[in-house]
Amino acid sequence: MSFKTKDVTLSEDRPKALLLQKHSDYLASYGLNKEDYEFCMTEYLRMSGIYWSLTAMELMAQSSRMPKDDIISFIASCQDSESGGISASHGHDPHMLYTLSAVQVLAMYDKLDAIDVEGVVRYVSSLQQEDGSFFGDIWGEVDTRFSFCAVMCLSLLHRLDAIDVNKAIDFVLSCMNFDGGFGSKPGSESHAGLIYCCVGTLSICKRMDALKADELAWWLCERQLPSGGLNGRPEKLPDLCYSWWVMSSLSMLNRIDWVDKKNLEQYILACQDAETGGFSDRPGDITDPFHTLFGLAGLSLLGNTTIKRVNPTYCMPQETIDRLKLEPQILQI
Amino acid sequence: MHGRIKVRTTEEEKARKEKERQEKLKIFKHAMQKIFNKRKEGEQDEEQLEITGRVLSSNPDIYTLWNIRREILIVFSKTKTEEDMSKSYDNELSLTEYCLKINPKSYCAWHQREWVLSTRPNPDWKKELELCNMYLKYDERNFHTWDYRRFVVSQCKPSLQEEFDFTTEKLYDNFSNYSAWHYRSKMLVELYPDLKGGRPIQDNHHKHELKMVQSAAFTDPDDTSAWFYQRWLLGAVKVTIQLVSCTVTQSKSTIAFSRKVSNDYINSKINLYFDGVGVNGKWNPCSGLEYDDLWILEHNHEVTDNLDIKVEHILGDEKQTINCAKYKPYTYVGKNEISFKNQYSEPVIEELNVQLDSCRQLLALEPDNKWTLLTTTFFLYCIDASLYHNEIMANLETLKNLDSQRIGYYSDLISKWSVEQQLPKDYKTDSLQYKIDFSEKITSLPHLQYYNFYQIVDLSHQALTSRILPTLVKLQHCKVLDLSGNNINTLDGFPDIDLDELYLKNNDELNATEIEIFKEKHKSMKIYI
Ligand SMILES: [Zn+2]
Repeated sequence: MSFKTKDVTLSEDRPKALLLQKHSDYLASYGLNKEDYEFCMTEYLRMSGIYWSLTAMELMAQSSRMPKDDIISFIASCQDSESGGISASHGHDPHMLYTLSAVQVLAMYDKLDAIDVEGVVRYVSSLQQEDGSFFGDIWGEVDTRFSFCAVMCLSLLHRLDAIDVNKAIDFVLSCMNFDGGFGSKPGSESHAGLIYCCVGTLSICKRMDALKADELAWWLCERQLPSGGLNGRPEKLPDLCYSWWVMSSLSMLNRIDWVDKKNLEQYILACQDAETGGFSDRPGDITDPFHTLFGLAGLSLLGNTTIKRVNPTYCMPQETIDRLKLEPQILQI
Repeated sequence: MHGRIKVRTTEEEKARKEKERQEKLKIFKHAMQKIFNKRKEGEQDEEQLEITGRVLSSNPDIYTLWNIRREILIVFSKTKTEEDMSKSYDNELSLTEYCLKINPKSYCAWHQREWVLSTRPNPDWKKELELCNMYLKYDERNFHTWDYRRFVVSQCKPSLQEEFDFTTEKLYDNFSNYSAWHYRSKMLVELYPDLKGGRPIQDNHHKHELKMVQSAAFTDPDDTSAWFYQRWLLGAVKVTIQLVSCTVTQSKSTIAFSRKVSNDYINSKINLYFDGVGVNGKWNPCSGLEYDDLWILEHNHEVTDNLDIKVEHILGDEKQTINCAKYKPYTYVGKNEISFKNQYSEPVIEELNVQLDSCRQLLALEPDNKWTLLTTTFFLYCIDASLYHNEIMANLETLKNLDSQRIGYYSDLISKWSVEQQLPKDYKTDSLQYKIDFSEKITSLPHLQYYNFYQIVDLSHQALTSRILPTLVKLQHCKVLDLSGNNINTLDGFPDIDLDELYLKNNDELNATEIEIFKEKHKSMKIYI
């Protein structure tokens, strides 16, 4: 039997205003000390780390504080000439996750010519399987996250023609559940992060008609807890990154008003660390670039005008998506 | 990144911790360097397994290290004896078990386990299933464990019934186990589909599940898990595609469906006739997307003032024909009989009525319980939405207060269910003018394709925001559109429709410069601000 709802309480002395300068300083100094413990221990996801930091900086119009040339040459040096895939960092193996992060970063910099684009297309399309699903790398892990990575990556390169899009859609739809949500593979339980991936895939492929929009959006808006924060599954604690997974999905479904925006804004702001800068998963936890991006992107979706507009499908600045002439679908209501 | 609480410590303590970390970091970096060097040199040996294993034990997410181990195991399998290999695989399984103890959500460690089990000869699936049972005892909601269980089940194939019973057992342990409800939903439709009736679930099982989920929900009304399962059961009805209307004018021919269909569907199931002669042409989706509920026919046939227009919808072995009537010169509209009523079987309806009574009793005791009120409201809607309409609307208004975070959801639900009451009535008249005939203010435009034939559409004094603008593309025959007195704050997203007049009065947040630009772009349209 369950007891009280799992949630947190926001304290009175929490941050209530957006501390943009703090966040920009936090991200600008993150990784400057190459001997920093956290920094070194997260080398296996470095490429995504760069994407989180740069996107957050772009949204704050502060990306000039990032070492652009170093980043671009680092990305180029992480591409595997044989497979065409891109790794998280030197010495690591190419993977779909980091290939996407690299392409997103280069798209924001308008520097896609820094890598072998044909190689990336070859790598991504080589990972599509007979049933339409995608492996994360040659070792065969299947997950709807990788379907989204593949479709997003190729759409940014205007090369969706390189895969069987219909089969990719069919696979994603085979992961739909009784509640209208999606999991990581057929049979897996619905989870807000994977819902974002699947709805995002359908948004890019313009097949959102296949969703059970009302059921799904209801499940999503029920993620909001009394504290204002959102959880990722029923009966779980709130976590700032879900303000992105849930709100971006609701934005694509054109039902962002189904949650209490004021309330959520309070929760997001409470996840800031006024001393160190950055956002954490819950108020009072240690901050990181991942939650910093999703905190800012969430606020942008809520209409905060001191942050640039973010595109709900791509989690990139809308201006980048416009420049690339991409038009991911938003459902009519 | 998750759940790391920031603790306040003294400077001294901080320095001590930092020193400890730097020690750890030195060892880590040294190990990683050694691993990468050995890999470069092609040294695939026990030592490499030992070092990577040590690093992974505390950092199970470094995916490349698992790759290195797999490469080594593959090489070993070509030369080592079966017995030695069996030991190597066992070691690998122990390592993953160790890592999963540290981080039960490590994608990499779970995948490694799956890889070993799929690679080694004669895997012990029974043991794996027991391991899943044990892990689910620690954390009944870990979705990695459930996914792994489904993988194991797909290999050792216990009977579906056994797995179904497993969910029953888990749920009677704790009704709040959403993961178990989820798994149950998958097996229910596999085990008991209603093949004859075309419904997702056989009647007696549908009824049984409704009973079970209600007792779960009543055990603890604030626990949400069961309510989602119940909502699904309520929606588990047969769905069909209905052709709802056909409109022909000199400028345009359109047909609307109850659900979105593809071009293939229209080409194979729809035939349009003018005076008995088949009209051929190209069907275009109104939204420009692959699937749509409103299609426009491009054709070369002349639309005269005295046509006999018919449209045929092929439904399996049967054919449904709709005759279009002349509404005014050169304007023909054909409408189907429409209904938004869910079609349940008799036993299910009986059960719903019984449960409605229990809900009402519970509600009498706890009038402010959101979940009981919401469920009561859905029962009313499912049993007879027309009969109970006023009560349904009143409940939704109460829910807006009880559960104010989700006010937007309840408002859209009010819009949808009110429109569903008006539409069948509108479909019995032959007007070309649309006006909302209920007092609730709509916030969205559900089922708008049904209204595509109206020429004058009055959506004034509602609570519409700019998010609905793209949807207006469904008003393909509209000439006069009134959006006055809404909350439209930008015209961004206004569709390309051929209006003569557009009323936008009293949308207070509309920006004057934007309106000027809009007017400039739509010179043939009279715009009233
Ligand atoms: Zn998080």
